[in-house]
Amino acid sequence: MNANAGTNGVASEMGEGYVLVRLSGEVDLSWSQAVRRAVLDALDAGPAVAVDLSAVSYIDSSGIAALVEGFQNARARGQRFALVAVSDAVRAVLELARLDRVFLLVPTPDAMIAA
Amino acid sequence: MSPARARAAASGPRRPRPRADAPGEADTLAFLAELSRALAVSVDLRRTLAEAITRVAAFMRVEAASLFLLDASGEALECRVCVGPVDIAGVRVGLGEGIVGRAVAANEAQVVADAGRDARVWRAVDDATGFVTRSLACAPLATAAGPIGAIEIVNRRDGVPFTDADARLLGLIAAPAALAINNARLAGELVEQQRLRRELDLARQLQASLLPRPRPAPFPVAGVHRPAYETSGDFYDFFDCADGRIGFVVGDVSGKGLDAALLMTRAASLLRWAGKDGLAPAAWLARANEELCRTVSDGRFVCALVGYCDRAAARVRFAGAGFPPVLVRHGGTLVEHAAGGPPLGIVADAAFEEHDVELAGGALYAFSDGAVDVRDAQGRRLGAAGLRTLIARHAAAAPQARLQALLADLERLRLVDDTTLLLVEAPAAAPRVLLDVHVRAQPAELRPLRAAVRRALDALGVGPDLRERLVLAVDEACANVIRHGYGEAGEGDIGLRILLDGTLLGFELTDAAPGVDPARVRPKPLGECRCGGFGVALIDEVMDDWRIDPLPGGQGNRLMLRKRIGATDDGRKDGA
Repeated sequence: MNANAGTNGVASEMGEGYVLVRLSGEVDLSWSQAVRRAVLDALDAGPAVAVDLSAVSYIDSSGIAALVEGFQNARARGQRFALVAVSDAVRAVLELARLDRVFLLVPTPDAMIAA
Repeated sequence: MSPARARAAASGPRRPRPRADAPGEADTLAFLAELSRALAVSVDLRRTLAEAITRVAAFMRVEAASLFLLDASGEALECRVCVGPVDIAGVRVGLGEGIVGRAVAANEAQVVADAGRDARVWRAVDDATGFVTRSLACAPLATAAGPIGAIEIVNRRDGVPFTDADARLLGLIAAPAALAINNARLAGELVEQQRLRRELDLARQLQASLLPRPRPAPFPVAGVHRPAYETSGDFYDFFDCADGRIGFVVGDVSGKGLDAALLMTRAASLLRWAGKDGLAPAAWLARANEELCRTVSDGRFVCALVGYCDRAAARVRFAGAGFPPVLVRHGGTLVEHAAGGPPLGIVADAAFEEHDVELAGGALYAFSDGAVDVRDAQGRRLGAAGLRTLIARHAAAAPQARLQALLADLERLRLVDDTTLLLVEAPAAAPRVLLDVHVRAQPAELRPLRAAVRRALDALGVGPDLRERLVLAVDEACANVIRHGYGEAGEGDIGLRILLDGTLLGFELTDAAPGVDPARVRPKPLGECRCGGFGVALIDEVMDDWRIDPLPGGQGNRLMLRKRIGATDDGRKDGA
């Protein structure tokens, strides 16, 4: 893992029946509010939200908190919410926080729809 | 003597002439008020006495007046102040002797109308000076605790003998005088107590200033000391010799209290002076002994242990003078080394036995008598065996902390004497600083800080999984400082040091944010679906332990995260 490689970024795109939020870089306190906003906006924009974490090399508790908030909002509104292609770095933190069994973790957005 | 007899004695052979100039009642009251007022403001005993007797002599219109006070024994009275042609200040009469002695013994005024014919009168002063005492009156200085002395007046200036009325008047005057004298005495005692307390404080400060400050690691000698009372007869010392060795001294002066403390200060400087030359320990003690034998004469003596060690404390040479055996710990075993030789200051040509001990990673403990004399709740002495148990209990702690823990245990039992502990031990290598950076407490600084932590841990050979967990924990800690320490508008720095002590990694974060109450920093349970607040829980999960302490001064905090790691490249290099 090259920690310095990824630049921080968040982008959303419409998929077939879902909104895909792509995150990259190191999610930390400096921009986790932007991540939170993007996730909540995506929930307003479509019936299901998939957050792609394949390019996330680091995530701290504030980043995890943004994902948890998205998950809870989706559940309250009966929307689907999944984490897609979770990188090893993110998976390690989810396991450490004992949240790896709370989220729906899928390899692709289509897998979320199929699930 | 009863009042009736006093009156009988007062009636002399001549009928007294009517007194045209006797003070009236109004005059008397005015005088008493004036006297009381004057004496009330005086707390200086000498001035109070002089003031009282001068005013009394003037008011009573007498040739001479004197004031006697009981001395400390309570058996004799001494003239403390007088007015008149003959100075009798310092004259002493026994309790019950003469008119003054009788007045005090009986706590009753005395009147002698015709002194020439009265056997009670003490004539030594008249005989010696040619003064003629014609008539006299005396009133005790009465207090609630009994008489403290007496005022005597001699010869009315108008030649008329004293009467009962004069004695009663004198008694009235004596009352406020006694009160004022008593107050002045109490004030004097208070001043004396305060002076003594100040002097004790100074002595204690002086003694404390003689003890060496703990040296920063790595240093092979440490000591602690607790006086049983305000001042102490115990001391310890360590110093650098010209040849690079460390000299050390533990001493215990016989007796307690201020004079033991004074001898302690002298013995401490003497032993340091004698040791600075690098003399062998036995010769060092011999030199100090000679000097003390010459100057200490009141039966006091000094027990001492002196010695040298190299900076690595591989080897210790020491000699003792009446000092308890030292204990040398090697691994789990404790060996006692009785340090022979008599105490210092008794026999001028005494010889002292020298010990040479290979410490080789072990530790040498020297305890003054006080440590062994400690009593448990049942009043039993702790003794050498109890001390061994305590040493074993705290063996794992760092030197200064270990000595403090031992002392705390001893105090929990009961210190009955001054107690001093000295430790000689190979110094632990100072922790290696892997990273030492300061960054602004801003979220944007976190990413480069994480990169710096990664580089430091990579250089140490920490595996990537553990490395990332450690980076996360440090990052969470920094984020907490930014969010909760400095808060919204807060600005400040975060200092981060990574230390390696053997296989123990320490991440030390310092900030200048308001002091945090350590009790309020608590991890929330993990695995719960909450939006945040689990940073501390993550730190808990990753680190072996952590603690947060406010920095001295109320501003700033120091957070220490610790993690024991397996053998690293660094550890192998050190042979760990």
